[in-house]
Order: sequence, then C-alpha cells, then structure tokens
Amino acid sequence: MDYFKQTLKTDCEDLLGRFQATASVRFEEFSAIWREMKFSSVFYGILEPSEKKVFTRLALSTASPYLLPPYSFQIRVGGLYLLYSLYSTQLNTPKERIRIALKDWDDLIHFQQDAVNAQHYDVVYVLRKLLYEKAFCFTAMPDTLSFQVKKKRVDRRQQLCESFVDRPSRPQELIGTDVLEELANVHEHYEGLKKAILPQPPQSNLSLIKHNLVPKLRNSVLTFYSWQQNQADFDSQIDRDAGEGTSSQDESSRRAQLLASIKSRSYAQAVEASKSRRHRQMEVTSAARDTESTQQVSRFKRPLSLKARTNSRFMAQGSQNAELQSITRLWRLTEVEGKKTEGKTKTRFSWKERMRSKH
Amino acid sequence: MAEGGGTNVLNENVPVYEHVEVNSKPFHLDSFRDLWLSVLKPEDYSFNQTSGEIEDAQFIEEMGITPETLEELKTICSPDSLRCHSEDEAPDPDVVPADPQLATLKLRKRRLDYKKTLIRDNVGRHDAYANEMEMLSLGRRAEDASDTVPEGEIVLTFNVIYPVLFERFKHVRAYQTLHVLGSQKLTELRDAICCVSDLQVFGEFSNTPDMVPQFISKDHYKSAFFFFEGIFYNDMRFPECRDISSVTREWTKSRDFPEFKTAKMEEATFSDLRVKVGFPYLYCHQGDCEHVLILTDVRLIHKDDCLDRKLYPLLSHKHRVVTRKCCVCHLYISRWITTNDTLAPMDPCLYCDQCFRLLHYDQHGNKLGDFQAYAYVDPGAFN
Repeated sequence: MDYFKQTLKTDCEDLLGRFQATASVRFEEFSAIWREMKFSSVFYGILEPSEKKVFTRLALSTASPYLLPPYSFQIRVGGLYLLYSLYSTQLNTPKERIRIALKDWDDLIHFQQDAVNAQHYDVVYVLRKLLYEKAFCFTAMPDTLSFQVKKKRVDRRQQLCESFVDRPSRPQELIGTDVLEELANVHEHYEGLKKAILPQPPQSNLSLIKHNLVPKLRNSVLTFYSWQQNQADFDSQIDRDAGEGTSSQDESSRRAQLLASIKSRSYAQAVEASKSRRHRQMEVTSAARDTESTQQVSRFKRPLSLKARTNSRFMAQGSQNAELQSITRLWRLTEVEGKKTEGKTKTRFSWKERMRSKH
Repeated sequence: MAEGGGTNVLNENVPVYEHVEVNSKPFHLDSFRDLWLSVLKPEDYSFNQTSGEIEDAQFIEEMGITPETLEELKTICSPDSLRCHSEDEAPDPDVVPADPQLATLKLRKRRLDYKKTLIRDNVGRHDAYANEMEMLSLGRRAEDASDTVPEGEIVLTFNVIYPVLFERFKHVRAYQTLHVLGSQKLTELRDAICCVSDLQVFGEFSNTPDMVPQFISKDHYKSAFFFFEGIFYNDMRFPECRDISSVTREWTKSRDFPEFKTAKMEEATFSDLRVKVGFPYLYCHQGDCEHVLILTDVRLIHKDDCLDRKLYPLLSHKHRVVTRKCCVCHLYISRWITTNDTLAPMDPCLYCDQCFRLLHYDQHGNKLGDFQAYAYVDPGAFN
C-alpha cells in the first residue's frame, strides 16, 4: 500500500494548492474544489476489503500533517477540511479514525482558538464536529512505528511543501537569548584578555569589535520582529506564529549586511588569542552534544540555515588561509557545522563510548 | 516536532520522536495516559454519544452565534456538499472511474489493469481472510457490564515477530499483532503469544507411536522473560520457573554493560512500563526461542474498539505460513518426522498420522523396518 503514499501526497498538495489560490478559508470554496477534482473517487476501485482500511489509514495519515505547524493558517484550515472530507467520504464501517498525537494536541487547540478569535465559524464547526463524532484517535505517535530503519531516507525526510509554509523567522531563530548571552560572555572574556595583554587602554588597531555589539544585535532583531509583527497585522491572516510577511528581499539584504560585516572583520588583522580559542572550543563541543538530537531532526526538514549558507559562502571565498579560518572561531557565534558529526557518533554508541573511556 | 531547536520540552512523558518515523523516546505509559486525560474533555473519549441538541446549544453559546447561523453552517459543511456526483446516479465504488484525474487513481488503475493481465490459478485465501480477525472484534460489547473496558483506558499494540527459525522467514518479517490493555499484566501477553516452540514434544517414539505424551514444552519449561528498557521481566508464577535472564546478565557483567535490573512479570502491568514506541524489545521463552517485540502503537480506547475486557489480549493479525504436507498423500498436514528411514524417499521425511501408521506398521502395530520417528509440529499449526 505504501506505493500510494507519493501519489496521495501529490493529490493532497494539488488540492491544497488550489485552495491556497482562493485565498479563503471558507468551506464552500474547499468543497467546490473537492467536487471539481472528484476527490471522493480516491476511495473507488479497491477490490479487497482489507485493502480498503489500509488505504484509508494511509490517506488520513498523509493528510494529517497539513493540519499542524509549520504550515500556514490557511493550509492548516485546508488540511482540516481535507481530513474531515476524507473521513466522511470513506467507505468503511466503522470509519477509520484520524490519529492525533499527544504532542500535537496543543497545536490543535491553539489552532481552534485562533479560528474562534478570528470568527471562522466553519473551521470551528468542522473541528467540533469531528470531535463530536469521535473521529479522532488519541495516540502516542502520529503513525504506528515498527522500527523501519531501512526505509528510504527520502520519505523519512518529510519533504515540506515550501509554498505552504509561512516564511520562518530565521533572524529570531538565529539570534536567541542564549546566543546573545553566550556572545556577551565571549565578548567580556575577549575584552578581559585584551586588557590582560595590554596594560594601556587598547589601541585603535585592536578594537575590531564594537563595544555595544550585543545590545545592538538584540535591538536590530527586535526592530525586525516588530516590523514583522506590523506586517502580519496588516495582513488579514492571523497566525499564532505570526511569521507571515517576511519578504525575501529583506532577508537577503540582511544576509548581505552580515556577509559584509563578516568579511570586513576577517580581512582585518587577526588577534593572537590562542588561549581564548581553546576555551571556546571546549564550549563548542559541549553545546554540540546538547543540541545534537534536535539538530538531527531539524536538519532533515529545513533547508540550510542562514548560518550554514553564510558559512559556506564565506568559506567559498577562497581568499582566506587556514590560519585565518581557525581564528574565525573567535567571532563565529555558535559551533562549527563540521563538529556535529563527531558528537553524533559518540552519543549513538554510548556503550562503546563507555568502554573506551574506561580503558 | 522539535521546532526552533526544541525549546519547549515540556514533559518527558509526552512522546516525541527519537529518530524521526522510526521510534519514540521512552515514556511512562501511565503518565502518558494521565496527560491525555488531563487535556481532553471527558466527552471526547467517552463511549457515549452526547446528544446533538446539547452539542448544538453549546456551540451556539460558545461562539455567540444565532441558531440560524448554525443551521447555515450545517448545510454548508455537511458531507453532502462533498458528493461528486448527482444524487440519483451513485457510481460503483469498486470501479475506478473511466477518466481519473487524481494521481492516486491513475496509479491504482495502472496496478489493477496489470493485475488483470496476471494469470493466477489459485486465488490466495490469505488476502480474503486478512481482514477477518480484525473484523471479528470490532465494536464488540461485553455481555456482562462489569467486563467492559473503562473509558480512557490505553490500548497497546504489539507486533510479535517470529524468530528466524526457518529459512523462509529470513526475508519476511513475519509477525502477529496483539492488542493489550494498559491495566493488564505482562503475563497475560505472555500467555497470548502463540509460538510453535511451545508445542514441541521431545523424544523418539518409533516403537510406541500411540504412547506420545500429551505434555508439550509449554508445560515443561515455563520460564520466560520480557526485556523492556534495561529491565528483565521474568515469569515466576510457578515454582519450577527459573530466572533464565541470569545467563545474559552474568555475561553482561563481564562485558562492561550498564547494570540490568530484573522484575517479576506477574507483578508488572503495562501501565507501569517506561518504553519507547517503535523500538525493538525481546520476548524469550523455551530457553532460546527469542521473539523481537515492537510496541507499534499506544492510544486511548475508542468506542468502536472491542470493549470486552475478556477478549484482550486481542489478536488482530497473524502471519500465515504455508503448511508442509505429508509426503505420501500430499493432502494432510504432517504430524511425524522420520530419520534414517529405509521406507522414506528422503531424509528427514514428513508424514501425516494416518500415512505414517499405514506405511511403517503392520496391522498388529508392529514396527516395520528401522527408523526413528519424532512428533512434528507444523509452523502453520496456528493458521
């Protein structure tokens, strides 16, 4: 039955794409598209009774991710309608249920609240009707799992349909509170070292970094965020994440700025600070291990992060020599990408690691 | 899923993926159930349907809309609006429409057309009965009200994979699926798992074919254990039971493994477990018959499920094996296996009970020729 997975996905995305084009969250619009596509016929032509159930389960589980973030509000509404329609048009008795995992329940409740606040009665009605009809099956995980490790990695990667997703707030993601804190610490450490090396007040050729770097960075992110908020309010779409409306132009200009600043810094004469580098390195590995599991998940579904792209571009300049690259760790705010793999293998074979550490 | 670097890890008992679409992180099943019950309203998981009017009234009240608006909503959102054909001419749901637009239908049409081109002499009975066991238990109600499963109970689904005893099991993951309730004891699952190695009869019976003892291995060797998340759950219900996990534990002590704990199978319920969904665990019995055990699903019970407590653990899928037939009649399932048999075409050779006796014994029951005979239990005995 798994061979239908891809085609089902295509069909669902086709339907949701058309729904997105209407720029509406009304059920009339959705049902019109449904009828136009003759989507009910998706259940036709199954000869074996056992296949019927399996196929319905597959169809519902293919459709259910669209109900959840990171998709935009409109797609989630479309996903809800799609689930409702698949559920009510299926040919099984008793009907196959829609699986909902505990971790996704909060998202669903928030979604319902958003719909209530925006007075989308049809959304709320459909959701409540599904609940009332006991169409949901409250489970631990979104799918049944049977440790299928060898399954192709491609379909495990859960390719997101990019056009359905709200543009994520990457600057906020990149510069979080912990990064800022870490940065402030590094900065302080750096200043301390400089003072230790030079008894006099630092000369101009050593003050490579602005003194108020951290607050400035924070401010600019906040400004960006508030601008984004305004944009989202301006837009009639209301979403919990409020990530709507980040124009790609703005993002790219930010990236250009960042690149420029990075370049200007690295071309300048590098400071000799091997001690601090060692200190940084230690922190880096521990941080890499902490965030290892989440990175592993996120690496699959997100395109390369801004950091990674910047990194690759910067490294691709080719004008830096190895020594300069190693020194770049001073100002590179988080860990080096290449370090991840090392931490990963270590945690995966924990027993071996134990043995190694003992001997 | 861990969005934005997994900043909001709320509770370790909210199951999340450890490896995406492979398995979850370990969580305590009872706490998981409590978490679900705490976020749900009782009517969400109740077996009884709240009446339509109450639901309507609630909706009107909560949303602050007029009854007319609700009526309008009902007509707009009714499943009838999804009908893709006119009211009087319902299409045959077993036929793929002539000119399919959906990619799924195109694929199905292609597959069905291909299937028609195949020439098959025998229709697989397995396809026809694949659904049977699941259908048997669906929506079953307990005859005695006291046997009804309580609302909000969790149902666990285990896939018990057969050990690779036979060459033909190497390429398929043959398994049986069992559903158990969270309140049940581990021993109840142990008793429900059927495996041919429990049915073996040991000994050579060529001289006394009528004296085959009725004792099967299950009665002789009662020790067994489950292994979940570093804990061996030993079956210690009977005085002759031994802790057969001790061999493994002794071995691990010299191999620098973390310390493994033991517990009694009969004292643990499934709710007490802390396990990963989708992760392989072990069931071992008869000393070395090892079954990989995967918890594929944990969910709250639904009103359409089997609600009769007595029927759990509930078998819903069983891998069916082609049985080996008697080499004389090719009709009946083998009961005997002989070696060093001068009468046999091959060594070892399988016989059904009747053919075995007719061939190897004269009318007075005297043994003819020289051979050893053993009782044979076909792996397809559970079909």
